[in-house]
Amino acid sequence: MARMKFYCDAERCIECNGCVTACKNENEVPWGVNRRRVVTIKDGEPGERSLSVACMHCSDAPCAAVCPVDCFYTTEDGVVLHDKDICIGCGYCFYACPFGAPQFPADGAFATRGKMDKCTFCAGGPLEDNSAEEFRKYGSNRLAEGKLPLCAEMCSTKALLAGDANVLSEIYRKRIVNRAGRTLQRGVSFQNATLRSPRGLQGKASTIE
Amino acid sequence: MCRPASGMVILLVLITLLATFSGSSVSAQTRQEGIQIPNPGADLWREVRKRQQPAAPGVKAPMSGAPGVDLWAEIEQTGRAPVGTTQIKSVDSGMLINAIGDEWRRFRMERLIPYAGYAIAGMFVFVVLFYLIRGRVPIHAGPSDKRLLRYSAYERTIHWFIASIFLFLALTGLTMLLGRSLLIPLLGPEIFSILASASKEGHNLFGPLFLLALALVFFRFVRRNIYQRGDLTWLLRGGGVIGKKHVPSNFFNMGEKSMFWMLVLVGGVTAISGVILVFPVLGQGREIMALSHVAHGITALVMILVIIGHIYIGTIGMEGALEGMTTGYCDLNWAREHHDWWAERCENNGEVVTVEDAHGAEGFAPGAPKRQSIVEAGE
Repeated sequence: MARMKFYCDAERCIECNGCVTACKNENEVPWGVNRRRVVTIKDGEPGERSLSVACMHCSDAPCAAVCPVDCFYTTEDGVVLHDKDICIGCGYCFYACPFGAPQFPADGAFATRGKMDKCTFCAGGPLEDNSAEEFRKYGSNRLAEGKLPLCAEMCSTKALLAGDANVLSEIYRKRIVNRAGRTLQRGVSFQNATLRSPRGLQGKASTIE
Repeated sequence: MCRPASGMVILLVLITLLATFSGSSVSAQTRQEGIQIPNPGADLWREVRKRQQPAAPGVKAPMSGAPGVDLWAEIEQTGRAPVGTTQIKSVDSGMLINAIGDEWRRFRMERLIPYAGYAIAGMFVFVVLFYLIRGRVPIHAGPSDKRLLRYSAYERTIHWFIASIFLFLALTGLTMLLGRSLLIPLLGPEIFSILASASKEGHNLFGPLFLLALALVFFRFVRRNIYQRGDLTWLLRGGGVIGKKHVPSNFFNMGEKSMFWMLVLVGGVTAISGVILVFPVLGQGREIMALSHVAHGITALVMILVIIGHIYIGTIGMEGALEGMTTGYCDLNWAREHHDWWAERCENNGEVVTVEDAHGAEGFAPGAPKRQSIVEAGE
Protein backbone atom coordinates (compact mmCIF):
# COMPACT_ATOMS: atom_id res chain seq x y z
CA MET A 1 0.00 0.00 0.00
CA ALA A 2 1.51 3.24 -1.10
CA ARG A 3 0.95 6.79 -0.05
CA MET A 4 0.80 8.79 -3.25
CA LYS A 5 2.43 12.23 -3.31
CA PHE A 6 3.48 14.88 -5.76
CA TYR A 7 6.95 16.30 -5.50
CA CYS A 8 8.10 19.39 -7.39
CA ASP A 9 11.80 20.21 -7.51
CA ALA A 10 12.20 23.98 -7.61
CA GLU A 11 15.79 23.55 -8.83
CA ARG A 12 14.55 21.79 -11.92
CA CYS A 13 11.23 23.36 -12.84
CA ILE A 14 11.60 25.56 -15.94
CA GLU A 15 8.03 26.92 -15.94
CA CYS A 16 7.15 25.34 -19.28
CA ASN A 17 3.55 24.69 -18.15
CA GLY A 18 3.68 21.28 -19.79
CA CYS A 19 2.11 19.73 -16.67
CA VAL A 20 -0.78 22.23 -16.86
CA THR A 21 -1.40 21.44 -20.50
CA ALA A 22 -1.09 17.69 -19.98
CA CYS A 23 -3.60 17.82 -17.13
CA LYS A 24 -6.13 19.88 -19.05
CA ASN A 25 -5.89 17.63 -22.07
CA GLU A 26 -5.91 14.31 -20.27
CA ASN A 27 -8.84 15.15 -18.01
CA GLU A 28 -10.72 17.41 -20.44
CA VAL A 29 -11.13 20.01 -17.72
CA PRO A 30 -13.63 22.76 -18.63
CA TRP A 31 -12.71 26.39 -19.21
CA GLY A 32 -12.06 28.40 -16.05
CA VAL A 33 -11.05 25.33 -14.07
CA ASN A 34 -7.34 24.68 -13.55
CA ARG A 35 -6.42 21.64 -11.57
CA ARG A 36 -2.73 22.45 -11.81
CA ARG A 37 -0.79 25.67 -12.11
CA VAL A 38 2.84 26.75 -12.16
CA VAL A 39 3.70 29.61 -9.81
CA THR A 40 6.92 31.54 -10.21
CA ILE A 41 8.52 33.32 -7.25
CA LYS A 42 10.75 36.35 -7.94
CA ASP A 43 9.95 36.24 -11.63
CA GLY A 44 12.80 37.87 -13.55
CA GLU A 45 14.92 38.45 -10.46
CA PRO A 46 17.94 36.59 -9.07
CA GLY A 47 16.77 33.50 -7.22
CA GLU A 48 13.75 32.94 -9.47
CA ARG A 49 12.13 29.61 -8.80
CA SER A 50 9.02 27.94 -10.16
CA LEU A 51 6.81 25.32 -8.60
CA SER A 52 3.99 23.31 -10.07
CA VAL A 53 1.04 23.07 -7.64
CA ALA A 54 -2.16 21.09 -7.57
CA CYS A 55 -3.96 19.14 -4.86
CA MET A 56 -1.20 17.80 -2.62
CA HIS A 57 -3.38 14.94 -1.30
CA CYS A 58 -2.81 15.87 2.34
CA SER A 59 -2.66 13.17 5.00
CA ASP A 60 -5.14 15.12 7.16
CA ALA A 61 -6.84 17.16 4.48
CA PRO A 62 -8.36 20.50 5.60
CA CYS A 63 -10.91 20.34 2.75
CA ALA A 64 -12.25 17.06 4.11
CA ALA A 65 -12.40 18.50 7.63
CA VAL A 66 -14.51 21.53 6.72
CA CYS A 67 -16.78 19.97 4.07
CA PRO A 68 -20.37 20.42 5.32
CA VAL A 69 -21.59 17.34 3.43
CA ASP A 70 -18.54 15.13 4.10
CA CYS A 71 -17.98 14.38 0.41
CA PHE A 72 -14.21 13.74 0.64
CA TYR A 73 -12.56 10.39 1.14
CA THR A 74 -9.01 9.07 1.06
CA THR A 75 -8.28 6.04 -1.07
CA GLU A 76 -6.01 3.22 0.03
CA ASP A 77 -3.25 4.88 -1.99
CA GLY A 78 -3.56 8.04 0.08
CA VAL A 79 -5.25 9.97 -2.74
CA VAL A 80 -7.83 12.53 -1.55
CA LEU A 81 -10.91 12.31 -3.75
CA HIS A 82 -14.42 13.73 -3.55
CA ASP A 83 -17.87 12.66 -4.62
CA LYS A 84 -19.44 15.15 -7.03
CA ASP A 85 -22.87 13.62 -6.45
CA ILE A 86 -22.60 14.71 -2.80
CA CYS A 87 -20.72 18.02 -3.25
CA ILE A 88 -22.95 21.09 -3.04
CA GLY A 89 -20.43 23.68 -4.25
CA CYS A 90 -20.28 25.78 -1.09
CA GLY A 91 -16.62 26.77 -1.52
CA TYR A 92 -15.51 25.97 2.04
CA CYS A 93 -12.78 23.59 0.82
CA PHE A 94 -11.38 26.47 -1.23
CA TYR A 95 -11.12 28.66 1.88
CA ALA A 96 -9.45 25.92 3.90
CA CYS A 97 -7.06 24.50 1.29
CA PRO A 98 -3.48 25.77 1.71
CA PHE A 99 -2.70 25.25 -1.99
CA GLY A 100 -5.72 26.70 -3.77
CA ALA A 101 -6.50 23.31 -5.29
CA PRO A 102 -10.33 23.26 -5.27
CA GLN A 103 -11.78 24.90 -8.37
CA PHE A 104 -15.34 25.89 -9.10
CA PRO A 105 -16.98 26.20 -12.49
CA ALA A 106 -19.16 29.33 -12.45
CA ASP A 107 -22.23 27.44 -13.64
CA GLY A 108 -24.62 28.25 -10.77
CA ALA A 109 -27.26 30.97 -10.95
CA PHE A 110 -25.66 34.43 -11.33
CA ALA A 111 -22.24 32.82 -11.84
CA THR A 112 -22.22 31.31 -8.35
CA ARG A 113 -20.21 28.18 -7.65
CA GLY A 114 -21.00 24.86 -9.25
CA LYS A 115 -19.70 21.53 -7.98
CA MET A 116 -16.06 21.54 -6.95
CA ASP A 117 -13.39 20.13 -9.24
CA LYS A 118 -9.81 19.37 -8.30
CA CYS A 119 -6.81 17.21 -9.11
CA THR A 120 -7.65 13.53 -8.62
CA PHE A 121 -4.06 12.26 -8.96
CA CYS A 122 -5.45 10.84 -12.21
CA ALA A 123 -7.41 8.42 -10.04
CA GLY A 124 -10.95 9.27 -11.22
CA GLY A 125 -13.69 9.24 -8.62
CA PRO A 126 -16.01 6.97 -6.68
CA LEU A 127 -17.74 5.69 -9.82
CA GLU A 128 -16.81 2.55 -11.73
CA ASP A 129 -13.18 2.66 -12.92
CA ASN A 130 -12.76 4.14 -16.43
CA SER A 131 -16.48 4.33 -17.09
CA ALA A 132 -17.76 7.11 -19.33
CA GLU A 133 -19.55 8.77 -16.44
CA GLU A 134 -16.43 8.73 -14.31
CA PHE A 135 -14.47 10.36 -17.09
CA ARG A 136 -17.13 13.02 -17.61
CA LYS A 137 -17.21 13.96 -13.93
CA TYR A 138 -13.67 13.39 -12.73
CA GLY A 139 -11.49 12.93 -15.79
CA SER A 140 -9.00 10.19 -16.45
CA ASN A 141 -8.35 7.24 -14.15
CA ARG A 142 -4.76 6.34 -14.98
CA LEU A 143 -4.09 4.86 -11.55
CA ALA A 144 -6.59 2.08 -12.25
CA GLU A 145 -4.57 1.30 -15.41
CA GLY A 146 -1.37 1.11 -13.40
CA LYS A 147 -0.10 4.49 -14.64
CA LEU A 148 0.93 7.61 -12.76
CA PRO A 149 -0.55 11.10 -13.23
CA LEU A 150 0.14 12.48 -16.70
CA CYS A 151 1.46 15.86 -15.48
CA ALA A 152 4.41 14.18 -13.78
CA GLU A 153 4.89 11.66 -16.58
CA MET A 154 5.09 14.50 -19.12
CA CYS A 155 7.50 16.69 -17.11
CA SER A 156 10.47 17.28 -19.39
CA THR A 157 12.99 18.06 -16.62
CA LYS A 158 11.59 15.53 -14.16
CA ALA A 159 10.99 18.39 -11.74
CA LEU A 160 7.47 17.17 -11.07
CA LEU A 161 7.37 13.64 -9.75
CA ALA A 162 4.37 11.61 -8.68
CA GLY A 163 4.23 8.31 -6.88
CA ASP A 164 4.82 6.58 -3.59
CA ALA A 165 6.13 9.02 -0.98
CA ASN A 166 8.94 6.69 0.06
CA VAL A 167 10.24 6.35 -3.50
CA LEU A 168 9.94 10.10 -4.10
CA SER A 169 11.75 11.03 -0.91
CA GLU A 170 14.57 8.65 -1.85
CA ILE A 171 14.93 10.38 -5.24
CA TYR A 172 14.77 13.73 -3.49
CA ARG A 173 17.44 12.68 -1.01
CA LYS A 174 19.79 11.60 -3.80
CA ARG A 175 19.34 14.88 -5.61
CA ILE A 176 20.04 16.87 -2.45
CA VAL A 177 23.13 14.82 -1.62
CA ASN A 178 24.46 15.29 -5.14
CA ARG A 179 23.92 19.03 -5.08
CA ALA A 180 25.43 19.45 -1.62
CA GLY A 181 28.39 17.28 -2.60
CA ARG A 182 29.09 19.44 -5.63
CA THR A 183 28.88 22.57 -3.51
CA LEU A 184 31.38 21.23 -1.01
CA GLN A 185 33.74 19.84 -3.62
CA ARG A 186 33.95 22.88 -5.84
CA GLY A 187 33.54 25.55 -3.20
CA VAL A 188 30.87 27.31 -5.22
CA SER A 189 27.44 28.49 -4.23
CA PHE A 190 24.61 26.04 -4.17
CA GLN A 191 22.84 27.64 -7.08
CA ASN A 192 25.94 27.61 -9.28
CA ALA A 193 26.69 24.06 -8.22
CA THR A 194 23.58 22.78 -9.87
CA LEU A 195 24.75 24.20 -13.19
CA ARG A 196 28.25 22.73 -13.19
CA SER A 197 29.40 19.29 -14.08
CA PRO A 198 29.94 17.16 -10.99
CA ARG A 199 33.00 15.40 -12.32
CA GLY A 200 34.71 14.48 -9.08
CA LEU A 201 31.56 13.18 -7.46
CA GLN A 202 29.78 12.00 -10.53
CA GLY A 203 27.28 9.35 -9.67
CA LYS A 204 28.76 8.65 -6.27
CA ALA A 205 26.12 10.02 -3.98
CA SER A 206 23.31 9.01 -6.23
CA THR A 207 24.50 5.45 -6.49
CA ILE A 208 24.32 4.81 -2.75
CA GLU A 209 21.67 2.20 -2.39
CA MET B 1 -50.49 26.24 29.34
CA CYS B 2 -49.55 22.56 29.46
CA ARG B 3 -49.51 21.96 25.72
CA PRO B 4 -46.89 24.53 24.68
CA ALA B 5 -44.78 23.53 27.66
CA SER B 6 -44.62 19.88 26.60
CA GLY B 7 -43.83 20.95 23.05
CA MET B 8 -40.98 23.03 24.30
CA VAL B 9 -39.64 20.11 26.34
CA ILE B 10 -39.53 17.91 23.21
CA LEU B 11 -37.73 20.71 21.38
CA LEU B 12 -35.34 21.01 24.29
CA VAL B 13 -34.45 17.33 24.09
CA LEU B 14 -33.79 17.65 20.35
CA ILE B 15 -31.59 20.68 20.86
CA THR B 16 -29.65 18.97 23.63
CA LEU B 17 -28.97 16.09 21.25
CA LEU B 18 -27.87 18.65 18.71
CA ALA B 19 -25.41 20.17 21.13
CA THR B 20 -24.04 16.78 22.15
CA PHE B 21 -23.18 15.75 18.63
CA SER B 22 -22.06 19.05 17.21
CA GLY B 23 -18.75 18.93 19.04
CA SER B 24 -17.64 15.69 17.44
CA SER B 25 -16.11 14.76 14.07
CA VAL B 26 -13.83 17.75 13.82
CA SER B 27 -11.00 15.87 12.17
CA ALA B 28 -11.01 14.76 8.61
CA GLN B 29 -11.32 11.31 7.07
CA THR B 30 -14.30 10.20 9.04
CA ARG B 31 -15.08 7.54 6.51
CA GLN B 32 -11.76 5.77 6.47
CA GLU B 33 -10.27 6.18 9.88
CA GLY B 34 -8.76 2.72 9.78
CA ILE B 35 -6.17 3.57 7.15
CA GLN B 36 -2.80 4.39 8.68
CA ILE B 37 -0.10 4.89 6.08
CA PRO B 38 3.40 5.56 7.42
CA ASN B 39 4.82 8.90 6.33
CA PRO B 40 8.52 8.91 7.26
CA GLY B 41 9.15 12.40 5.91
CA ALA B 42 6.61 14.02 8.23
CA ASP B 43 8.76 14.15 11.39
CA LEU B 44 11.70 15.61 9.51
CA TRP B 45 9.43 18.13 7.85
CA ARG B 46 7.92 19.16 11.18
CA GLU B 47 11.43 19.72 12.56
CA VAL B 48 12.35 21.88 9.55
CA ARG B 49 9.15 23.90 9.95
CA LYS B 50 9.84 24.42 13.66
CA ARG B 51 13.29 25.86 12.95
CA GLN B 52 11.86 28.16 10.32
CA GLN B 53 9.47 29.89 12.71
CA PRO B 54 10.30 33.61 12.78
CA ALA B 55 11.33 35.12 16.13
CA ALA B 56 8.21 37.22 16.30
CA PRO B 57 5.03 37.21 14.18
CA GLY B 58 5.37 39.43 11.16
CA VAL B 59 9.18 39.43 11.29
CA LYS B 60 10.70 37.79 8.28
CA ALA B 61 13.02 34.95 9.19
CA PRO B 62 16.67 35.76 8.49
CA MET B 63 18.09 34.32 5.30
CA SER B 64 19.90 31.17 6.23
CA GLY B 65 21.97 30.74 3.11
CA ALA B 66 20.41 27.36 2.46
CA PRO B 67 18.42 27.83 -0.76
CA GLY B 68 15.58 25.48 0.18
CA VAL B 69 14.95 27.37 3.39
CA ASP B 70 15.10 30.74 1.65
CA LEU B 71 12.72 29.56 -1.04
CA TRP B 72 10.35 28.30 1.61
CA ALA B 73 10.50 31.69 3.37
CA GLU B 74 9.56 33.34 0.07
CA ILE B 75 6.67 30.95 -0.38
CA GLU B 76 5.39 31.64 3.10
CA GLN B 77 5.52 35.35 2.38
CA THR B 78 3.22 34.74 -0.55
CA GLY B 79 0.66 33.47 1.92
CA ARG B 80 -0.10 37.08 2.84
CA ALA B 81 -0.15 38.60 -0.62
CA PRO B 82 -0.01 36.85 -3.99
CA VAL B 83 3.46 37.91 -5.10
CA GLY B 84 4.14 34.92 -7.32
CA THR B 85 3.27 35.00 -10.99
CA THR B 86 1.44 32.37 -12.96
CA GLN B 87 -0.18 31.86 -16.34
CA ILE B 88 -3.43 30.83 -14.65
CA LYS B 89 -5.70 33.84 -14.40
CA SER B 90 -7.90 33.43 -11.36
CA VAL B 91 -8.26 34.81 -7.84
CA ASP B 92 -5.16 34.26 -5.67
CA SER B 93 -3.62 31.94 -8.26
CA GLY B 94 -0.18 33.46 -7.63
CA MET B 95 -0.36 32.41 -3.99
CA LEU B 96 1.42 29.16 -3.16
CA ILE B 97 0.42 28.78 0.49
CA ASN B 98 -2.85 30.18 1.81
CA ALA B 99 -1.85 31.17 5.33
CA ILE B 100 -5.33 32.01 6.62
CA GLY B 101 -6.94 28.72 5.59
CA ASP B 102 -5.92 26.73 8.64
CA GLU B 103 -6.99 29.49 11.05
CA TRP B 104 -10.36 29.62 9.33
CA ARG B 105 -10.67 25.84 9.51
CA ARG B 106 -10.00 25.86 13.25
CA PHE B 107 -12.47 28.70 13.80
CA ARG B 108 -15.26 26.89 11.94
CA MET B 109 -14.67 23.38 13.22
CA GLU B 110 -13.54 23.99 16.80
CA ARG B 111 -15.35 27.18 17.71
CA LEU B 112 -18.25 28.14 15.48
CA ILE B 113 -19.92 24.74 15.13
CA PRO B 114 -19.78 23.59 18.79
CA TYR B 115 -20.43 27.05 20.24
CA ALA B 116 -23.35 27.66 17.90
CA GLY B 117 -24.87 24.34 18.93
CA TYR B 118 -24.44 25.02 22.64
CA ALA B 119 -25.59 28.63 22.38
CA ILE B 120 -28.81 27.77 20.56
CA ALA B 121 -29.51 24.87 22.90
CA GLY B 122 -28.76 27.15 25.85
CA MET B 123 -31.14 29.79 24.53
CA PHE B 124 -33.94 27.23 24.25
CA VAL B 125 -33.23 26.04 27.80
CA PHE B 126 -33.28 29.64 29.00
CA VAL B 127 -36.60 30.36 27.27
CA VAL B 128 -38.18 27.19 28.65
CA LEU B 129 -36.94 27.93 32.17
CA PHE B 130 -38.13 31.52 31.89
CA TYR B 131 -41.56 30.30 30.82
CA LEU B 132 -41.74 27.73 33.61
CA ILE B 133 -40.67 30.24 36.25
CA ARG B 134 -42.36 33.43 35.11
CA GLY B 135 -45.22 31.98 33.08
CA ARG B 136 -47.13 33.91 30.47
CA VAL B 137 -47.35 37.67 30.99
CA PRO B 138 -51.10 38.26 31.21
CA ILE B 139 -53.16 41.36 30.46
CA HIS B 140 -53.68 42.25 34.11
CA ALA B 141 -56.85 44.25 33.51
CA GLY B 142 -58.22 41.45 31.36
CA PRO B 143 -59.02 41.65 27.63
CA SER B 144 -61.17 44.64 26.70
CA ASP B 145 -63.54 45.22 23.80
CA LYS B 146 -61.54 48.24 22.65
CA ARG B 147 -58.77 48.09 20.07
CA LEU B 148 -55.92 50.29 18.82
CA LEU B 149 -54.48 50.13 15.32
CA ARG B 150 -50.86 49.14 15.92
CA TYR B 151 -49.45 48.02 12.56
CA SER B 152 -50.73 48.94 9.10
CA ALA B 153 -51.08 46.32 6.38
CA TYR B 154 -47.78 47.46 4.83
CA GLU B 155 -45.97 47.21 8.15
CA ARG B 156 -47.33 43.74 8.79
CA THR B 157 -46.38 42.70 5.25
CA ILE B 158 -42.76 43.77 5.58
CA HIS B 159 -42.58 42.24 9.06
CA TRP B 160 -43.72 38.85 7.84
CA PHE B 161 -41.59 39.26 4.71
CA ILE B 162 -38.41 39.66 6.71
CA ALA B 163 -39.57 37.10 9.29
CA SER B 164 -40.16 34.37 6.72
CA ILE B 165 -36.88 35.12 4.92
CA PHE B 166 -35.02 35.14 8.23
CA LEU B 167 -36.47 31.82 9.36
CA PHE B 168 -35.70 30.25 6.00
CA LEU B 169 -32.13 31.57 6.01
CA ALA B 170 -31.59 30.53 9.62
CA LEU B 171 -32.83 26.98 9.00
CA THR B 172 -30.90 26.50 5.76
CA GLY B 173 -27.79 28.06 7.30
CA LEU B 174 -27.97 25.84 10.36
CA THR B 175 -28.50 22.83 8.08
CA MET B 176 -25.18 23.58 6.41
CA LEU B 177 -23.44 24.44 9.69
CA LEU B 178 -24.61 21.57 11.89
CA GLY B 179 -25.91 19.06 9.33
CA ARG B 180 -22.70 17.07 9.05
CA SER B 181 -22.73 16.34 12.78
CA LEU B 182 -26.47 15.97 13.26
CA LEU B 183 -28.22 15.02 10.04
CA ILE B 184 -25.74 12.81 8.16
CA PRO B 185 -25.94 10.11 10.89
CA LEU B 186 -29.73 10.24 10.58
CA LEU B 187 -30.25 10.66 6.84
CA GLY B 188 -27.09 9.30 5.30
CA PRO B 189 -24.80 11.34 3.03
CA GLU B 190 -26.87 10.98 -0.18
CA ILE B 191 -30.17 12.28 1.20
CA PHE B 192 -28.45 14.91 3.28
CA SER B 193 -26.60 16.06 0.16
CA ILE B 194 -29.94 16.78 -1.55
CA LEU B 195 -31.12 18.69 1.50
CA ALA B 196 -27.84 20.59 1.82
CA SER B 197 -27.74 21.37 -1.88
CA ALA B 198 -31.29 22.75 -1.72
CA SER B 199 -30.33 24.66 1.42
CA LYS B 200 -27.31 26.19 -0.28
CA GLU B 201 -29.25 27.19 -3.41
CA GLY B 202 -32.13 28.58 -1.36
CA HIS B 203 -29.79 30.36 1.02
CA ASN B 204 -27.96 31.96 -1.91
CA LEU B 205 -31.18 32.92 -3.67
CA PHE B 206 -33.01 34.43 -0.69
CA GLY B 207 -29.94 35.87 1.03
CA PRO B 208 -29.78 39.04 -1.07
CA LEU B 209 -33.54 39.52 -0.51
CA PHE B 210 -32.85 39.78 3.22
CA LEU B 211 -30.85 42.93 2.50
CA LEU B 212 -33.89 44.38 0.69
CA ALA B 213 -36.26 43.37 3.49
CA LEU B 214 -33.89 44.84 6.05
CA ALA B 215 -33.85 48.16 4.17
CA LEU B 216 -37.67 48.24 4.01
CA VAL B 217 -37.97 47.51 7.74
CA PHE B 218 -35.29 50.04 8.59
CA PHE B 219 -36.87 52.96 6.75
CA ARG B 220 -40.37 52.15 7.97
CA PHE B 221 -39.60 51.73 11.66
CA VAL B 222 -36.50 53.82 12.29
CA ARG B 223 -38.32 56.93 13.61
CA ARG B 224 -40.13 54.97 16.30
CA ASN B 225 -36.90 53.25 17.36
CA ILE B 226 -34.85 56.29 18.33
CA TYR B 227 -33.90 56.05 21.97
CA GLN B 228 -35.57 58.57 24.26
CA ARG B 229 -35.83 59.63 27.88
CA GLY B 230 -37.10 56.78 30.01
CA ASP B 231 -35.40 54.00 28.05
CA LEU B 232 -32.57 53.81 30.58
CA THR B 233 -35.08 53.25 33.38
CA TRP B 234 -36.61 50.44 31.34
CA LEU B 235 -33.19 48.86 30.92
CA LEU B 236 -32.28 49.19 34.61
CA ARG B 237 -35.49 47.46 35.62
CA GLY B 238 -35.00 44.76 33.01
CA GLY B 239 -38.21 45.71 31.24
CA GLY B 240 -40.27 44.96 34.33
CA VAL B 241 -38.68 41.60 35.11
CA ILE B 242 -36.89 43.14 38.10
CA GLY B 243 -39.44 44.36 40.62
CA LYS B 244 -43.19 44.24 40.35
CA LYS B 245 -43.72 47.79 39.17
CA HIS B 246 -44.63 48.48 35.56
CA VAL B 247 -42.08 50.36 33.45
CA PRO B 248 -43.57 52.98 31.14
CA SER B 249 -42.64 53.04 27.47
CA ASN B 250 -43.57 54.49 24.09
CA PHE B 251 -44.70 52.75 20.88
CA PHE B 252 -41.64 50.54 21.16
CA ASN B 253 -39.98 49.87 24.50
CA MET B 254 -36.26 49.90 25.08
CA GLY B 255 -35.90 46.16 24.43
CA GLU B 256 -37.74 46.38 21.13
CA LYS B 257 -35.65 49.37 20.09
CA SER B 258 -32.47 47.50 20.96
CA MET B 259 -33.63 44.50 18.96
CA PHE B 260 -34.35 46.78 16.02
CA TRP B 261 -30.86 48.30 16.12
CA MET B 262 -29.31 44.88 16.63
CA LEU B 263 -31.19 43.65 13.58
CA VAL B 264 -30.11 46.62 11.49
CA LEU B 265 -26.45 46.69 12.51
CA VAL B 266 -25.68 43.00 13.09
CA GLY B 267 -28.06 41.92 10.34
CA GLY B 268 -26.46 44.44 8.02
CA VAL B 269 -23.06 42.85 8.62
CA THR B 270 -24.57 39.40 8.03
CA ALA B 271 -26.20 40.48 4.80
CA ILE B 272 -23.18 42.29 3.37
CA SER B 273 -20.74 39.52 4.30
CA GLY B 274 -23.23 37.11 2.73
CA VAL B 275 -23.19 39.03 -0.54
CA ILE B 276 -19.38 38.87 -0.52
CA LEU B 277 -19.62 35.09 -0.06
CA VAL B 278 -22.37 34.38 -2.55
CA PHE B 279 -20.79 36.12 -5.53
CA PRO B 280 -17.24 34.76 -5.84
CA VAL B 281 -16.78 36.66 -9.11
CA LEU B 282 -16.27 40.10 -7.59
CA GLY B 283 -12.51 39.59 -7.42
CA GLN B 284 -12.32 39.02 -3.67
CA GLY B 285 -9.58 36.72 -2.41
CA ARG B 286 -9.77 33.87 0.07
CA GLU B 287 -8.67 36.05 2.97
CA ILE B 288 -11.63 38.38 2.50
CA MET B 289 -13.99 35.44 1.98
CA ALA B 290 -12.74 33.64 5.10
CA LEU B 291 -13.12 36.80 7.18
CA SER B 292 -16.57 37.36 5.70
CA HIS B 293 -17.50 33.84 6.70
CA VAL B 294 -16.34 34.48 10.26
CA ALA B 295 -18.39 37.69 10.41
CA HIS B 296 -21.36 35.95 8.78
CA GLY B 297 -21.31 33.06 11.25
CA ILE B 298 -20.96 35.13 14.40
CA THR B 299 -23.52 37.79 13.47
CA ALA B 300 -26.04 35.24 12.22
CA LEU B 301 -25.69 33.31 15.47
CA VAL B 302 -26.28 36.49 17.50
CA MET B 303 -29.40 37.24 15.44
CA ILE B 304 -30.76 33.72 15.80
CA LEU B 305 -30.36 33.87 19.58
CA VAL B 306 -32.09 37.25 19.84
CA ILE B 307 -34.87 36.23 17.46
CA ILE B 308 -35.60 33.12 19.54
CA GLY B 309 -36.29 35.49 22.44
CA HIS B 310 -38.31 37.77 20.16
CA ILE B 311 -40.48 34.91 18.94
CA TYR B 312 -41.00 33.71 22.51
CA ILE B 313 -42.14 37.06 23.87
CA GLY B 314 -44.24 37.75 20.78
CA THR B 315 -46.17 34.47 20.96
CA ILE B 316 -46.46 32.31 24.08
CA GLY B 317 -44.53 34.65 26.37
CA MET B 318 -47.08 37.45 26.48
CA GLU B 319 -50.83 37.61 26.17
CA GLY B 320 -52.04 40.08 23.54
CA ALA B 321 -48.64 40.62 21.89
CA LEU B 322 -49.24 38.66 18.71
CA GLU B 323 -52.55 40.26 17.66
CA GLY B 324 -50.96 43.56 16.70
CA MET B 325 -48.82 41.83 14.10
CA THR B 326 -51.52 39.45 12.80
CA THR B 327 -54.73 41.52 12.76
CA GLY B 328 -53.06 44.91 12.96
CA TYR B 329 -55.06 45.84 16.07
CA CYS B 330 -54.00 45.41 19.67
CA ASP B 331 -56.06 45.31 22.82
CA LEU B 332 -56.40 48.69 24.55
CA ASN B 333 -55.64 47.21 27.96
CA TRP B 334 -52.53 45.51 26.56
CA ALA B 335 -51.37 48.82 25.10
CA ARG B 336 -51.99 50.60 28.40
CA GLU B 337 -49.93 48.03 30.26
CA HIS B 338 -46.99 47.75 27.88
CA HIS B 339 -46.87 50.93 25.80
CA ASP B 340 -48.71 53.36 28.05
CA TRP B 341 -47.33 56.61 26.62
CA TRP B 342 -48.42 55.58 23.14
CA ALA B 343 -51.80 54.29 24.37
CA GLU B 344 -52.43 57.52 26.22
CA ARG B 345 -51.70 59.56 23.11
CA CYS B 346 -53.98 57.37 21.02
CA GLU B 347 -56.79 57.78 23.53
CA ASN B 348 -56.33 61.55 23.57
CA ASN B 349 -56.50 61.58 19.76
CA GLY B 350 -59.66 59.51 19.82
CA GLU B 351 -58.20 56.58 17.89
CA VAL B 352 -59.75 53.89 20.05
CA VAL B 353 -62.07 51.62 18.05
CA THR B 354 -64.42 48.88 19.11
CA VAL B 355 -63.60 45.25 18.49
CA GLU B 356 -66.32 45.07 15.79
CA ASP B 357 -64.86 48.03 13.93
CA ALA B 358 -61.41 46.59 14.14
CA HIS B 359 -62.32 43.19 12.77
CA GLY B 360 -64.56 44.72 10.13
CA ALA B 361 -61.86 47.11 9.00
CA GLU B 362 -58.77 44.85 9.28
CA GLY B 363 -56.68 47.88 8.60
CA PHE B 364 -57.53 47.86 4.91
CA ALA B 365 -60.90 49.63 4.78
CA PRO B 366 -60.94 53.31 3.88
CA GLY B 367 -62.94 53.99 7.03
CA ALA B 368 -60.13 52.84 9.29
CA PRO B 369 -58.88 55.61 11.54
CA LYS B 370 -55.65 57.37 10.71
CA ARG B 371 -52.85 56.66 13.08
CA GLN B 372 -51.53 60.09 13.93
CA SER B 373 -50.01 58.73 17.08
CA ILE B 374 -47.72 56.24 15.37
CA VAL B 375 -46.17 58.93 13.23
CA GLU B 376 -45.80 61.20 16.20
CA ALA B 377 -44.35 58.50 18.36
CA GLY B 378 -40.83 58.90 17.10
CA GLU B 379 -40.76 62.61 17.66
